[in-house]
Amino acid sequence: MDLRIIGQMAVSGALMGLVYALIAYGFQLTYATSRSLNFGQGELVMVSAFVALTFTDLGLPYGLMVPCALLFGALAGLAVERAAVRLALQQKSEGWIMLTIILGLFLLSASENLWGRDDRPFPTPIPSEAIRVLGIEVTPLELSVAVGALAVMGLIELFKRATLQGKAFEAVSADPEAAELMGISSRRTVMLSYGFSGAVAALAGILVSPITTVGPTMGAVLVLKAFSVAVVAGLDSGFGVVVVGMALGALESLASFYLGSGWREAPGLVLLITTLAARPYGLFGRAIIRKV
Amino acid sequence: MVLRSLSSLALVLAVLPLTGADTVKIALTGPFSGGSAPMGLSMRDGARLAIAEINAAGGIQVGKARLRIEVLERDDEAKNERGALIAQELSSMPDLAGVLGSVNTGVVMAGDKHFQEKGITKIITPAAGSQSMTQWSQAGVRDLSIFRFAAHDGIQSSMVVAEAQRRGFEKVALLFDSTNYGVSGRDDLVREIAAQGGKLKVVAAEKFNIGDKDMTAQLLKAKSGGAQAVLIWGIGPELAAVANGMAKLGLKVPLIGGWTLSMSNFIDNAGRNGNGTLMPQTFIEEPINPRVKAFIDNFHRTYKVTRMASPVSAAQGYDAVLIFAAAVRQAQSTDTHRIKEALEDLKEPVKGVIATWVHPYSRWDPNREETHEAFRKEQTVMGMVQDGRVVFGNPADRERLARSDKPVPPSAPSKVRKTR
Repeated sequence: MDLRIIGQMAVSGALMGLVYALIAYGFQLTYATSRSLNFGQGELVMVSAFVALTFTDLGLPYGLMVPCALLFGALAGLAVERAAVRLALQQKSEGWIMLTIILGLFLLSASENLWGRDDRPFPTPIPSEAIRVLGIEVTPLELSVAVGALAVMGLIELFKRATLQGKAFEAVSADPEAAELMGISSRRTVMLSYGFSGAVAALAGILVSPITTVGPTMGAVLVLKAFSVAVVAGLDSGFGVVVVGMALGALESLASFYLGSGWREAPGLVLLITTLAARPYGLFGRAIIRKV
Repeated sequence: MVLRSLSSLALVLAVLPLTGADTVKIALTGPFSGGSAPMGLSMRDGARLAIAEINAAGGIQVGKARLRIEVLERDDEAKNERGALIAQELSSMPDLAGVLGSVNTGVVMAGDKHFQEKGITKIITPAAGSQSMTQWSQAGVRDLSIFRFAAHDGIQSSMVVAEAQRRGFEKVALLFDSTNYGVSGRDDLVREIAAQGGKLKVVAAEKFNIGDKDMTAQLLKAKSGGAQAVLIWGIGPELAAVANGMAKLGLKVPLIGGWTLSMSNFIDNAGRNGNGTLMPQTFIEEPINPRVKAFIDNFHRTYKVTRMASPVSAAQGYDAVLIFAAAVRQAQSTDTHRIKEALEDLKEPVKGVIATWVHPYSRWDPNREETHEAFRKEQTVMGMVQDGRVVFGNPADRERLARSDKPVPPSAPSKVRKTR
C-alpha cells in the first residue's frame, strides 16, 4: 500500500469534503434557531454561483463580486425564510419541508430558463497549477476552499460567542420561549440565521464553482452529501461538520481508489446508517433529555 | 448590419414550420440543452442551414411540385426515456418523411426501435457509439430503416489506438464514462488494442459517472500504473474534469479519445489543460477550400458566433440534410419507405461540406454494418485542441483535404466489420 497515494487521496477528498461541511453548516444555522432546514439549500448554492458568474461577466472585479454574491445569498436566505418557513413555524406545522423543497425546484427551473442547462467555467484569479506539499499535489483552488470555508465558519462561531446578537442566537437555540421572555425577538433571530445560511450557501457556490464548473444540477449532488454530513455530525455541532465533512470526503476518495470508482458513494451511506443506528443525534450531537 | 438582419430573417422564415401537402416533413432530434447540447445544437443549426438553402431555392422537385422542407424539432435532453417518448410520438405521425439526429448512444438505443417498428427512415447523426448499429446486426434484422452519418466508434477507436502506437507508447490507461457510449467505447478500444497486435498494455481501466468532477482516484491509478497516454471515451464536462485532474496530478501524458473531445464545453472548461488533446474528427473548422470557407462563414454570420460549439456535428447535420433531400428527389415521393430505398441506392452524387458523397449507403446486410454507415476512415482525420480551437493534428491532412475537392469513392465496404 503506497502511503503517498493514500495521502493524496485523503487530502484531495478532505479538501472537497470541506464544501460538504460548509453547506452542512448552513443547515445547522437554521436548525439551531428554528428547528427547520432549507431543503432547497443546494439550489441556493447553484443560484448564487450563477449570480456570481453574472457579476463577473458584467465586469465586476473578483474582490467586489464576492461581497455582492454573499449579499445576494443572504437576501435569498431571508426570502426563503419569509416565503417558505415563517408561516409554517407560526402555525407550528411541518409545512416548511414541502415549501422549501418546492422553492428549490422553482429556483432550479428559473435558473435553467435564465442561464441555460450547460455547465459553464467559473473564472477565478486563484491559480489552478498544483503545488507539491510533502509529495502530495494540491491546487491553490482547493486550498482556497479550505481557507474560505474554515474562515467563514470561524467568523460566524465568533459572532455567536462574542456579540450580543450572537448570544441571542444561542438563547433562541436553547429555548425560544424563554428567550422571548428575556426580550429577544426569536423571529428576528430566525431571520438572521436564514440570512447567514444563505450567505454561507453563496460562499460555497463561489468556492466550489472554479473546480466543478457552474450548472443547474451542481447543487443536487453537493446537498445530499452535505445533509448526510449534518446528520452524521449532529445538527448542533459546528466543529462536528468540519470533522465529518473532511472524513467523508477522504473516505469517498479512498473507496473510489481502492474499491473502484463505482463505490464512491458507499462510505457516505454506511456512515449514515451506522450513525443513525448507534447515535441518532449524531457523532458530535448532544442527546436532549426531555422532562415529562 | 441590415443585410445580416435580413439573412437571419430569411433563415427563420425558411425553417418555420409549414403545414400542407406541399412539404416534406422531417424531424430533427437531439439534446438542445444539458451537457450534450453543444453537439445537439450544432447539429440542429447545421441542418437548419441546409434546409434554409433548399427552401430558399424553392424546395425539392417531386413530380411537378417543388416541396419545401417542414421541420419538427424535439429536445431529448440527452435522456434515454425522453428519447424513447419522442421516438414514439414521431413514429406515430402518418406523414413523417424521416428523422435526423440523436447525439447520445443511449437515446438512440432507447428510441430507434420505435422508428424501426414503423419503418420510419432515420439518419443518426452525430451519435457514434457502435451499439447504435450493432444492435440491429446482432438481432439479425433483415430490413433496416436506420442509417448513420457519423464516423462510428469502430473507426475512431482504431485511429486512437493507432495514434498511441505511432507515438511508441507501450502502456495506456482507459477512462470511460458509465453510459452506453462510454462502455461501448471502452469495448471498442479493448478490441482494437487486441486487433492491432496487443502491443499496448492497459495498466488501468477506470470509469466515471456523468456529473463527476473529481477524477483523482482514476488518474492516480493511471499514474501509478505508468500510463504513457490516457485513452478516453466520454462527453465534454467530465472530459474537462479529467484534463484538469491530469494537470493537478502532474500527469503529463497525451489525452487521446473519441471525437467528443472537440466539444466546446471540454475546450472551455479545460482551458490550457486541454491543449494537445487528440481526437478523430470528420470536420475541422478551418477554411481549407472555398466550399468549407463558405459553410463556416455562413454559419458564423447566421448564428453570430466566431466558433462552432461542435464543428463535427454542424457539418454532419448539414451534409445529412443534403443526402436526405437527394433521396427524396430520387424517390420522387415523401413516403418514408421509398426514401429509405432511395438512400440505399443513391445515384446522384451529393456535394456536401465534408465530402462529395457518392453512393454513401447500400442495401442493408446484417453481416456488414457498413452498408448503412456513410463514413470510412478516409473521411476522418486526427484533430488537436490548441488554444481554444480544434486544428488539424496532422498538417498533411490539411494539405490532402484542401487539394481534394473530388468525390469520395462509393461505399463498397473496404473492410468487413465484425458483428458484435
